[in-house]
Amino acid sequence: MAKGNQRRAGGRPRAQSLLERYRPIEGIADEMVDASGNARPAWRSFIGALDDLGAERLGQRFARADQYLRDAGVYYRVYEQAGANEREWPLAHVPLLIDEKEWAEISAGLVQRADLFEAILADVYGPNRLVEKGILPAGLIAASPEYLRPVAGVRPANGHFLHMVAFELGRGPDGRWWVLGDRTQAPSGAGFALENRVATTRALSDVYGEMHVHRLAGFFRRFRDALNGMAKESGGRVAILTPGPLNETYYEHAYIARYLGIMLLEGEDLTVSGGRLMVRTVSGLMPIGVLWRRLDAAFADPLELRPESQIGTPGLVEAIRRGTVSAVNALGSGLMETRALLSFLPRIARELKGDDLNLPSIATWWCGQEAARAHVLANIDRMVVGPALSTRLAFEDDGATRLGSSLSAGERAELVARIEADGDGFVGQEAVTLSTTPVFVGGLLEPRPASLRVYLARTPEGWAVMPGGFARIGFSLDPTAIAMQRGGQAADVWVVSDRPVERETLLPQEHDGFTRTMPGSLPSRAAENLTWLGRYIERSEDTVRVLRAYHVRLAETSDPDMPLLADIRDYLEPFGIEVETAIPPGLIGTLDSAVYSAGQIRDRFSPDGWLALKDLSKTIHKFAETVAPGDDATRAMTVMLRKLAGFSGLLHENMYRFTGWRFLEIGRRLERGIQIARTLSQLTRNGAPEGALDMMLEIGDSVMTHRRQYPVQAGRRTVIDLLALDPLNPRSILFQLERLKAEIGMLPSIGGEGHMSAAAKEILQLNTAIAVMEPSDMSAGTLDDLAGQIGGLYNSLAKAYFG
Amino acid sequence: MLYDIKLHLHYDYAAAAGGGRHQVRVMPQTIAGVQRVIAASLSFQPTPAERADFSDFFGNNVTSIAFRDAHETLDIRMSARVSVSRPEPGLDVSPDISGLKSELDTVRSLSPSAPHHFLAASDHVGIDAAITAYARDSLSGSTVATAVDLCNRIHRDFAYDGKATTVQTRASDAFALKRGVCQDFSHIMIAGLRGLGIPAGYVSGFLRTIPPKGKPRLEGADAMHAWIRAWCGRDAGWQEFDPTNGMRASNDHITVGYGRDYSDVAPIVGVLKTTGGQVGEQAVDVIPVAA
Repeated sequence: MAKGNQRRAGGRPRAQSLLERYRPIEGIADEMVDASGNARPAWRSFIGALDDLGAERLGQRFARADQYLRDAGVYYRVYEQAGANEREWPLAHVPLLIDEKEWAEISAGLVQRADLFEAILADVYGPNRLVEKGILPAGLIAASPEYLRPVAGVRPANGHFLHMVAFELGRGPDGRWWVLGDRTQAPSGAGFALENRVATTRALSDVYGEMHVHRLAGFFRRFRDALNGMAKESGGRVAILTPGPLNETYYEHAYIARYLGIMLLEGEDLTVSGGRLMVRTVSGLMPIGVLWRRLDAAFADPLELRPESQIGTPGLVEAIRRGTVSAVNALGSGLMETRALLSFLPRIARELKGDDLNLPSIATWWCGQEAARAHVLANIDRMVVGPALSTRLAFEDDGATRLGSSLSAGERAELVARIEADGDGFVGQEAVTLSTTPVFVGGLLEPRPASLRVYLARTPEGWAVMPGGFARIGFSLDPTAIAMQRGGQAADVWVVSDRPVERETLLPQEHDGFTRTMPGSLPSRAAENLTWLGRYIERSEDTVRVLRAYHVRLAETSDPDMPLLADIRDYLEPFGIEVETAIPPGLIGTLDSAVYSAGQIRDRFSPDGWLALKDLSKTIHKFAETVAPGDDATRAMTVMLRKLAGFSGLLHENMYRFTGWRFLEIGRRLERGIQIARTLSQLTRNGAPEGALDMMLEIGDSVMTHRRQYPVQAGRRTVIDLLALDPLNPRSILFQLERLKAEIGMLPSIGGEGHMSAAAKEILQLNTAIAVMEPSDMSAGTLDDLAGQIGGLYNSLAKAYFG
Repeated sequence: MLYDIKLHLHYDYAAAAGGGRHQVRVMPQTIAGVQRVIAASLSFQPTPAERADFSDFFGNNVTSIAFRDAHETLDIRMSARVSVSRPEPGLDVSPDISGLKSELDTVRSLSPSAPHHFLAASDHVGIDAAITAYARDSLSGSTVATAVDLCNRIHRDFAYDGKATTVQTRASDAFALKRGVCQDFSHIMIAGLRGLGIPAGYVSGFLRTIPPKGKPRLEGADAMHAWIRAWCGRDAGWQEFDPTNGMRASNDHITVGYGRDYSDVAPIVGVLKTTGGQVGEQAVDVIPVAA
């Protein structure tokens, strides 16, 4: 953009104000400007700050936010015809600003609503007075798939159904906020709201710092404390239950688990024993007292809910019935998301609370009642009509939900006929126009429709409202384009005060004091994945080393069929590594497996560790397209080795040395022991081709050590001495065994204190046997047996800890 | 009538099951005005590590069992002495379909026997246009008359065939096949009634094995049996029909439980840790006891 086309009195070059060029849409409320085009008070200093930065620098700043999101690996999953894909997080960079006085009104309205919902659930799953009095139609509740009969009559262990809820709001043309929909099942997005905040403040740290914006951390801290308090009463732990890495918001589950320090579990990690929900850990079964579920209740227990569920825990409902575990939210809470229920809320509010709703829902008519049906049919052009039992927001549900005014005459007649035949199945809702908020496009601010998701968490002091939230913003002016699955964007929400706000963090404050607690028990599945991650990474490295030694020689020789090269080809082939391709698919597969294993336990990874691993995978896939055998492959393998070392270094230097790290380390050491034993057996056997011993030293990264240690040419005995029996060489077999002995000895004892596990006995015997060996004792056969024995150790560990 | 009922369920697992959890619904229940359970017992081999009894939403007796150790077989044995004494179907006081709809709206209840639970589609029984059209031909005056006619037509139009379907078969598939067993006929009748707006549910139970002299042997007697119940208005209430035999439920029908369809009241549901398949066998004896 040309600078200096306007000059302030002070002479500072300045582009035309963003505000002056902003064009809100006639007849639609705008968040930033009022009807006469003036900036609302909460926005004034913000717009001034954006103007001061200028369009060009703003563009750079916003790119910084995107970079942060990429670096942090924030993604969500989109389901498309071609399958599910990870998408970068679509941040709309300009936050939505709301004055704290207006926010206080919204908060009060939502707290009232959350309390009302709690009372409705307690009634529907309890004495059923609303049905008895004819306020709620029995047929509507009974037909809802979210009404879960196995928990009817079950009072939640902690006395409450709802603990974390979200409400979707929109502002109508008259400037009032309306509730568009309710999220009571397992609301998503609270973690994304945090990431939006981090990314947005990356871009606008100075602006954010100067304005008085309410912080989000306190909300999460209070909720975490509330969960821990509930768990303490139950004598168990808190866990987050996720459907797994294929879920659209898995990233968020892992993020929240990491942020709050809560165990992230999948259904198969859990079992029910003696009526209690337990997690399988490497220290045995541990009780769970609070299950913050991120999966829909219907999938939580295949025995009593949907039998086809593969992600549930058999017996969970029984544990809940016995009151030994609290689900957050209680199973069955999803009922409150039912669209048709909106039409009954005003009357229920008066009945149960003696009060009107401060924050009304979008006007809704259930066509199962005659007067309502007549109203919908008479006003269908001003309605959005959809399935009565749907739990999706109207604008997320374009297949089944239709905008009356957009129908052709034929479609309209068909819809009317269907409503007349099956009124119970339909609701009509007033077609709403959402307010607009500015997005930054091509150096300008432009209006886009927005909806707002606000989160409430139950604490011992009552509902806490997250001061901020998650705004969904359309790419176009079409209000149905807001839904994330259809390509909407997300924006941070700033609740702005005119006074300084409390700066909260999740970290304990100076005066809190602290005690160091050891990390909780490691779930068995996580231990298994960590072990395999270690094995896959090590296997990749060992394969890369052999391949590099191969291609170095291939590049230098005029005879590609020389015995040593042929020998390596034969050696690698049974392991699925075919050297004819410079980057063998077998190697790519091993690295992909490492990424997969890590992806199963993402809550245990720092963003840096995850990025390093993704980079490894991306690099090898890229190499696979371009790299040729010989010199080219040698260079590629060197790059891979460097990156592998980088990843290992990250883990080695940064990972907390507790049980999780131990399993990773055990995996690495097992694999390295196996690989070295196998390669040694091949390259030091009687009749190994010329040059094999030098190659072995190179693969074992021990050329220099050998030169220093042994004043002779490499011979079979010196090579075996250095790579099998030298306890100081980090690539020797004995070194791996010593490390394994140490780490296995530190694992939780399964059969009680002082009891030696089968794996501990095996490694002790193996280590002792090898420690007293001489190089001359080590035939190729002995080495092969040794590789098998180290592999057997894995089975003993798996049996003891991963079962 | 007084009966001694014996049930034996036997499962062979292709690969030893490492553990598992099941819910078993095979115990008859005492139902006021219909039947009384005098004695009953349920045993398992091997002995489960955990066992708990409870009543489910519909009031059915459920035994929940869990195994932790490997086992290759599972044997479930139930025996019960039950006295059945159903009232004779009296005068037909049921309304027609539109009357039924208005009566339904006046039932303000979600109690286990409230008709509202039995009107919407359920797991095995969808609302199916073809079945609804078939059922519409039975519409005749009262709700009870409609149900009786539909029950008789299903008995007449469908062939009993133990090989045509499985426990997983849905009503629409069995309807297209025009064959099946008691479970399928019950599902088809339930789908038909619901399609007409008549609340209908599934009844699981036993049928007397030894035919009285001069009468034909009733089909479906050597396994657990299933029939249906339809809600026929505030006064007539729930009436039970057996479409497999084209009759109303009699004193030969011993009730285990009620549900929206088979899946609510399956004799055994469970999740096993095993790699192979399983083979199940079932043996049922219903022996009348001389009073």
